[in-house]
Amino acid sequence: MKLEVLEERIIHLRQQVRRAMAAGERARVRGLRAELRAAERAWEEALEPRFEFEFEASGPPPVRESVHRALSLLGVPAAARLIVAVDEAFHGGGLLGERLTGLLRDEERAFRAAPHARPYRLCAALTADLLSPARGLIAVSTWPLEVRVVGPLSARTGFLTSAVRIAEEIIRLRESGTDAAPAAYRLLTRMARNIPGAVEGYGPADPATVIAAARAELAVHEPADRARRSAAAARAAHRLDPAEQLFGARLRTAGAGRTRRTA
Amino acid sequence: MSRLDALRGPEPAVDHNARTIAALAANPGCDRRAVFDAAGVDKQAIARHLGYPAPFGQSVFAITRARAFEELVKADGCAHLLRLLRELLGLTVAEVAYDDIADVGGNASHAVRHARTRALLRRAATAPPGDVAAAGTLFDHPLLRLDMGGAEVYLEPDVIAFQARGRFHVIAIKSFAVIDGQADPARVAAAARQAAVYVHALRRLFEEEGLDPARVAHDVVLVCPKDFANTPTATLVDVRQQLSVLARQLSRLTRVDRILDRLPPGLTFDLRKDADGTPTRSSADLAQAVRKVPARFAPDCLSSCDMAYFCRAEARERGSTDLLGRAARDELGGVASVPAVLALAEGTREPAADEVEIAAQLRLAHRLYAETTRAMGTVA
Amino acid sequence: MSLLTAYARARAVREGRAQPIATVRHLHLSPRPLVFIPLRLAGEAAAPLGAMVGTDPAEPRLLVVPQPRDRDLRFAFVAELAAIMLPYIQRYAAATETVEAKTPYERSLDAPQILVPNPRGVAFTRLLGRSCRFRRPDGPYPVHPSVPLLGQWLTFLADRAEFPGSSMLVAMTDALAAHWATGQSQVEDGNLAALVGWIDPPDGMTGPEAAAAAEDMVWSPPAGPETAPDFDAQVLAPAIRAYAASGSDVQVRDAVRSQLEPTWKVMWRAVELLRRLPEAGGVAGRWERDRAEFTREAVRIAEGGPPRGRHDSAVGAAVRLSTMERAQQAYEVQRALDDPLVMAEHRMAGKAFAGRVVHVEVERKIVPPGRTRPVNRPLVTVATDDPVRLAPGDVLISPARPKQHCEVVEVRQGEVVLQVNDGMGRGARPAPGSVPEIGESVCYADLDPGDGRGFPFPSKEETPWTHGGPPAEYVPTDEDAMEEWS
Repeated sequence: MKLEVLEERIIHLRQQVRRAMAAGERARVRGLRAELRAAERAWEEALEPRFEFEFEASGPPPVRESVHRALSLLGVPAAARLIVAVDEAFHGGGLLGERLTGLLRDEERAFRAAPHARPYRLCAALTADLLSPARGLIAVSTWPLEVRVVGPLSARTGFLTSAVRIAEEIIRLRESGTDAAPAAYRLLTRMARNIPGAVEGYGPADPATVIAAARAELAVHEPADRARRSAAAARAAHRLDPAEQLFGARLRTAGAGRTRRTA
Repeated sequence: MSRLDALRGPEPAVDHNARTIAALAANPGCDRRAVFDAAGVDKQAIARHLGYPAPFGQSVFAITRARAFEELVKADGCAHLLRLLRELLGLTVAEVAYDDIADVGGNASHAVRHARTRALLRRAATAPPGDVAAAGTLFDHPLLRLDMGGAEVYLEPDVIAFQARGRFHVIAIKSFAVIDGQADPARVAAAARQAAVYVHALRRLFEEEGLDPARVAHDVVLVCPKDFANTPTATLVDVRQQLSVLARQLSRLTRVDRILDRLPPGLTFDLRKDADGTPTRSSADLAQAVRKVPARFAPDCLSSCDMAYFCRAEARERGSTDLLGRAARDELGGVASVPAVLALAEGTREPAADEVEIAAQLRLAHRLYAETTRAMGTVA
Repeated sequence: MSLLTAYARARAVREGRAQPIATVRHLHLSPRPLVFIPLRLAGEAAAPLGAMVGTDPAEPRLLVVPQPRDRDLRFAFVAELAAIMLPYIQRYAAATETVEAKTPYERSLDAPQILVPNPRGVAFTRLLGRSCRFRRPDGPYPVHPSVPLLGQWLTFLADRAEFPGSSMLVAMTDALAAHWATGQSQVEDGNLAALVGWIDPPDGMTGPEAAAAAEDMVWSPPAGPETAPDFDAQVLAPAIRAYAASGSDVQVRDAVRSQLEPTWKVMWRAVELLRRLPEAGGVAGRWERDRAEFTREAVRIAEGGPPRGRHDSAVGAAVRLSTMERAQQAYEVQRALDDPLVMAEHRMAGKAFAGRVVHVEVERKIVPPGRTRPVNRPLVTVATDDPVRLAPGDVLISPARPKQHCEVVEVRQGEVVLQVNDGMGRGARPAPGSVPEIGESVCYADLDPGDGRGFPFPSKEETPWTHGGPPAEYVPTDEDAMEEWS
């Protein structure tokens, strides 16, 4: 009952907002928008009261644990997209990409407040040249620095290594009798399509073939990649304090420039 | 240029992007647009305050889709992109380096990013051949700079790729589909015009760095979804023609100071916003100021310029034949106003020396039109 | 754009109302057309959002996809659309007649006519057809069997739409713009509501005022398939979220209906405007061709013919191009013969002229070169004010006697002398009425409708190696049926 009344009100308010916008009545638009938001919130409340709270009490594991589990499987720094895909492929899913934004910021804050409170931290990957946090990547603090540093070739070697690890996990599950979920095979196949020689035609990928093909290409990149990362890791150990080794050094320049508004 | 600052007022200048430059280059005869864009005026705010808001913009769904597709193409160290470039450009297996210039150690200011872009590109161009780790392959979120009639514009192509054969390619990622090998020609054309702006800016950068601009390929890599799925596919698009058109039109724009010289001193388009951000200047006053800079309306403006509806109303008040579109205006022999066209057709006005031929044709058109519509009973 | 139509536009500006550029209707208008207004989700290739369909202006059917990215919902939409369109199409296939010709063939007595708002609606129809015709009712991504069937029909209709003079799938903006000139630009004519506003403004409004009201996207939503960005952000996105949260599609249906209803009304107003024009003489013949093609496709599909391949074979493409060129030529000539206002274009160019017959030599006979017997070759002198740019030897035809060929003998100031070469019967003297008489108003034009015969293309099996050799038979594969939608 209440829902319908709210819905009518919401439709009516929306029309009013659009008319006011078309007429350029900015002040009126602001006021109407505030009313509209209030009505929409009331609608959500009326629909499913206190849904969030119940979910927290008995729901899936906390985000950081799911992320840690996925990263442990991969063994290399990874982006949110891949972490969520691995979670879905092997750990039942339920990890939402949105939950990962701000994760590193929270981890850093927690670390600075109590450095030894946890057995592991989710941390940044460091760029080899500036030792600053690599955009979009998450790593695990218990990994050695060389693994947590990324050079220009590391995006590709990380991808190839991830594919190998995913293929190995599928083989392990197969041999243990449970077999991997279809989502895992789909993930492997998607990745294999971008590795030369890893898959043929439109069928699903064969894990052994993927491993062979990925390793073949890795052999081309690995020496240079490893050399770069080791050198950078040595610099980081020498120059950065513990927090910076986990979350990256930040480059600060004076007068970063007047911000310009975009059209 | 402080004259441009005065015209704009205290608001910060609006950012250009390749799309706005391509659009500007499409109507070089319009002084109003040249001045507004050079001064970085917020055309959208002005049009709104004048009572002629432009209704276009991109749909949230299109924006979401475009962003999602771009993320897909670039995911996992640009895995899809590498596959496509290996097929299309013959990138070797070793050429997989990835550098992201979205920020430099956390600093995302234009100046810093642009400096880094230059440094990385210079390094790539001068690295010993075959040394992939030193040269780099893919440069994500590069920031280029272009001088537009005295104002500096920062441009951000999607990706720039470099191959060991020494060539640099601009890569454009678009979310419109290529179906059975064909894509919407209008959208491909727009993408080509936009990409030409990046190629041009990159070549200017090379010149400034003392490098050979011909190393920037005139073939752009266009990445789009294939058929109805999300799988990326890529094609090479030759933008030489767009480049020469752009060069021509940009050179005309450098003469914006000539236009400025013709403007009355003290002219400004400042909306005089109060603390709340509400304009306090009367729209009539603003309209008067805007009219001091002549415009050149064409129906294409309606889909590319925020001021279009105001300029169209202006063209209507004047009865300008621009209203009818370029094709009609050309057919009418360039006669400037509708009343003049009709007067020549009806013989109530003596043609000027250069109007004699069009007047004769118009009189014929008038006679034939009247004769053939008489039976319809609709002739006025 | 010609000078004549540009002049008509200038008139429209002054009159505040669109001006006719045709005196008759050059397309067929069915007594029962199907109006189809599709909407698509922005940013997607062929993700339908909804549609309004129907043959009765009082009974629109609303179809909605509450989550346009959901594949199953998309194909449910297509199945629902098929449930409306297929019966409409198929009932015309049932009633046929046999046409006497060298090889007699079947032709339906009437054919379906689908009306969409604009050329992008035609493009979307083609895309929808393409995305559906390869689907299968079995296999890994099964769909309802009506989906690939509708896909084949939509592809056929979109193909017909490209054919000059065809009326099976019509973009209303194109149809209206072919008969009226507004006082705005052709770009703005792409807005159906604005175009109708110019042609038939409501009482108390001028054409431009009605068009301006039509541009306000709050009151007059775009005819699609695109939706307005404001609508997407403020109404559609929240409605889709509400569906995701609650499972109720009421909000999305309301939103989509609000965008389609105004265009629905405008479409039927446009139909009425076209219906008021008398039908041109050439329309029936062109509609017969549409009907014949329709029957051919209906038979092909009924016999289990596979969906058309993605690409044309080399011979197929060349044949299609040549056929279309001939059809274009015939269509343009027919329009001029049917419509004095269209003929006026040719008169302006000096390639046609109208006037009054001032002298006739009916008895004149000559012995043509290479022959021995004298034949009838009357001379007709026509007085005209038109600026004639013809030369002796040019062969002309007339709307009154389109099968008769007249040759220009002499062009003088204000007069043209013609020699009548045929169309006079077989008698010793020209049959009565076959030659114009003194005082008759006549019109002659240098137009060639074409002879209807085609260029002798090689058969598919003989495709030369330069064009890839003979094409393989197209066999639909699993890959086609399997295409995932994003």
